Amino acid sequence: MISSASTPSQPRFRISRHRHTAWWGSGVAAILSVVGLVLCWLNPSIQAPLKPGLDFTGGTQIQLERVCDQQACSGISAPEIQAALAQLSLPAQDGQPAPNLANAVVQVLDQGHSLVMRLQDLGPIQTAALVQQMPKIVGPLDPNGISVDTIGPTLGQQLLQGSVLSLLVSFAAIAVYITFRYNGVFAFLALFTLGHDVLLTCGAFAWLGLLAGVEVDSLFAVSLITVAGYSVTDTVVVFDRIREQRTTLADLPLVEQVDVAVDATLTRSLYTSLTTILPLLGLILFGGASLFWFAVALTIGIAVGSWSSIGVAPTLLPVLSRPRN
Amino acid sequence: MARQQGWFALILALAIAAGALVLNVPPPLGLDLQGGSQLTLQVLPSGAIKKVEKEQLESVKEVLDRRINGLGVSESTLQTVGNDQLILQLPGEQDPSRAAKVLGTTALLEFRAQKAGTDAEMQGLLKLKRQATAARIKVASEDPSPDTKIKAEELADALKALGIAVPPGSSETDQLELLLATVNTKIVGLYEPSQLTGKDLVGAGRQQQQTGNGWDVTLTFNREGGEKFAELTKSIAGSNRLLGIVLDGRSISEASVGPQFQVAGITGGAASITGNFSSEEARDLEVQLKGGSLPLPVRVIEQRTIGATLGTENVRRSLVAALSGLALVALFMVVVYRLPGVVAVIALSLYALFNLAIYSLIPVTLTLPGIAGFILSIGMAVDANVLIFERVKEELRSGNTLIRSMDTGFSLAFSSIIDGHVTGLISCVALFALGTGLVKGFAVTLAIGLLLSLFTALTCTRTILRLLLSYGALRQPNYFLPANQLPVKAAG
Repeated sequence: MISSASTPSQPRFRISRHRHTAWWGSGVAAILSVVGLVLCWLNPSIQAPLKPGLDFTGGTQIQLERVCDQQACSGISAPEIQAALAQLSLPAQDGQPAPNLANAVVQVLDQGHSLVMRLQDLGPIQTAALVQQMPKIVGPLDPNGISVDTIGPTLGQQLLQGSVLSLLVSFAAIAVYITFRYNGVFAFLALFTLGHDVLLTCGAFAWLGLLAGVEVDSLFAVSLITVAGYSVTDTVVVFDRIREQRTTLADLPLVEQVDVAVDATLTRSLYTSLTTILPLLGLILFGGASLFWFAVALTIGIAVGSWSSIGVAPTLLPVLSRPRN
Repeated sequence: MARQQGWFALILALAIAAGALVLNVPPPLGLDLQGGSQLTLQVLPSGAIKKVEKEQLESVKEVLDRRINGLGVSESTLQTVGNDQLILQLPGEQDPSRAAKVLGTTALLEFRAQKAGTDAEMQGLLKLKRQATAARIKVASEDPSPDTKIKAEELADALKALGIAVPPGSSETDQLELLLATVNTKIVGLYEPSQLTGKDLVGAGRQQQQTGNGWDVTLTFNREGGEKFAELTKSIAGSNRLLGIVLDGRSISEASVGPQFQVAGITGGAASITGNFSSEEARDLEVQLKGGSLPLPVRVIEQRTIGATLGTENVRRSLVAALSGLALVALFMVVVYRLPGVVAVIALSLYALFNLAIYSLIPVTLTLPGIAGFILSIGMAVDANVLIFERVKEELRSGNTLIRSMDTGFSLAFSSIIDGHVTGLISCVALFALGTGLVKGFAVTLAIGLLLSLFTALTCTRTILRLLLSYGALRQPNYFLPANQLPVKAAG
């Protein structure tokens, strides 16, 4: 025995036996994703396939840390703060009339220690005036614990367009590279699974948006691009093996070549997903609020990418390939 | 083995250099990690200019640069973005409202003479202005004395007389400000246009008034400006007409010119604006005048402020996340791959160290998404090792020698590793080219990570492994693969 490549070893795991399960699973997940996106669009309070966050809609989010004893900071409720905000008046700025704070959305978090307010977009002078008036409503605040995020509506539009554009451009660039490195069917399937992985990730966030009010921001677009890159990498490793098998196991039918290749790369695929998800787990558990949903999106995308590179891309290959002569 | 030792020496030297660099020059932290404010300013088209071009953006930036320096904000940075935006970063600053106020105004200064025959109207407006100004000072100092306080009804009446609807629910302070703004704009309507503007200034300063505790702003004109000023003052000297100083279409000061200037006007090229300014107002005005007027108006379209404690908390959280992620991956690698796993962990540690060193070197400002990119790239860096080790195991299972298995493993895994890294880099390029600030940070750290992981997986892992294998005691296949998976005829 010189090298394993020439050994027609029997695969321990035959993916072809499970292909219908894989297709059904992906099919149902894809339909659920589309339903989620459509429901989001039909939802009068969202009216978009995914619930857009502050980044894309424009607005101001102010987070305040209250100073009170270590125990629960009691004596404050979101509706009270909302009512008090509606009474406040802020200076006019940039020639626009003073904002109306009656539609402010207020959340009391962390046992009353921190407050998050979502408002229409305010200028720096207006946010400063608002922050200055807040102690009258909620008591003393930690001056070092204030965070303000304001995105103007035009900038929000710009960010949205930029995100969509960078998604499309990176997908196109990956498509070009793959068609250059692989022949037609391989390239098509690599891109097909890329679409599959991105759709399922979006679908998960459509449902999260519907059921839990989770919003998508520019970081979500980043996670989609990363998932796309990962998805292709993962698929390509299996395809690389199949291509290798085609020369060394030339006399076997394609289905069996695929089985051997998937079996050989299975451990690697699972391990790699795991070693990528483990650091993400660190981010989900300890990374804090700003990176939480980003890490969740990546985790979902990478898990889905692993699934499709094992169960979908290789099993569709024999279906789409012409029998070789 | 000599070649391996050469490589090993190189890696060791790089590691020491990287360590020294990181310790001496820690990578700069972004605002989300150290606290501070960031403002994005949009330059707006105005008048004849329908679309903002790069040159106009540069000239706006120049003016804003001078104003920021005048404000004395330390360590601030101002960068242009695209064709019509500027990003101002103020590390450590919790309240960017003053900077926004000073930066956001056009600061177009004009000196205008009052139109003839508008005396009565002017006197009425000036009286209202005096009352409102006095009332505002009293409101600010919370002095409840009734003589200077404008009654709410009086305020509403005054506004109504000027044709201004009182917004429902607005506070007394708001109404005062509205009244003052309206009065100041009305006063400007009583002036003639003039040729003397802030462009004719060479300097500005401020001084405390000798009587009272307000501040004046002093102006120095260039030669041409001095002549224009003399002519303007001469034309109204001795009459009841006033000289108005107008900033961005609002009257900030009205002065009378005495009859003694009827012959030559006020000469000498200097003037002062008596506006009863507070010390801060006078300073801001001085800064704006010194910086010159903005060629185009700007508006703050984005503000991000993060408190110092929140920034520190972010650093702590991402450190914990990164370390726990690394620890979990390291544990996994050692359990699954045994000796090569240990080597992979060493290579990963080198990878993390080199990453930090490059952040210091370029320098890359570390932001939260940047750290996320780094943490994610750990996972991807391991992938290269997993690909190689899986191949090595396969070769071992089919009965190859250790050294041969390793070489075949490395070379067979190469094609997949390259494909994976190229697609990853393509994503990074797209993110960097089209993304905004935070997204760019993520793209840069991820791209650096991908390039470095090529180096550490293909060079560091390989060199250290081969070096270890030169010790006979370590050359045992079951350090690489559990004995029960080894073929019976395996030989070391």
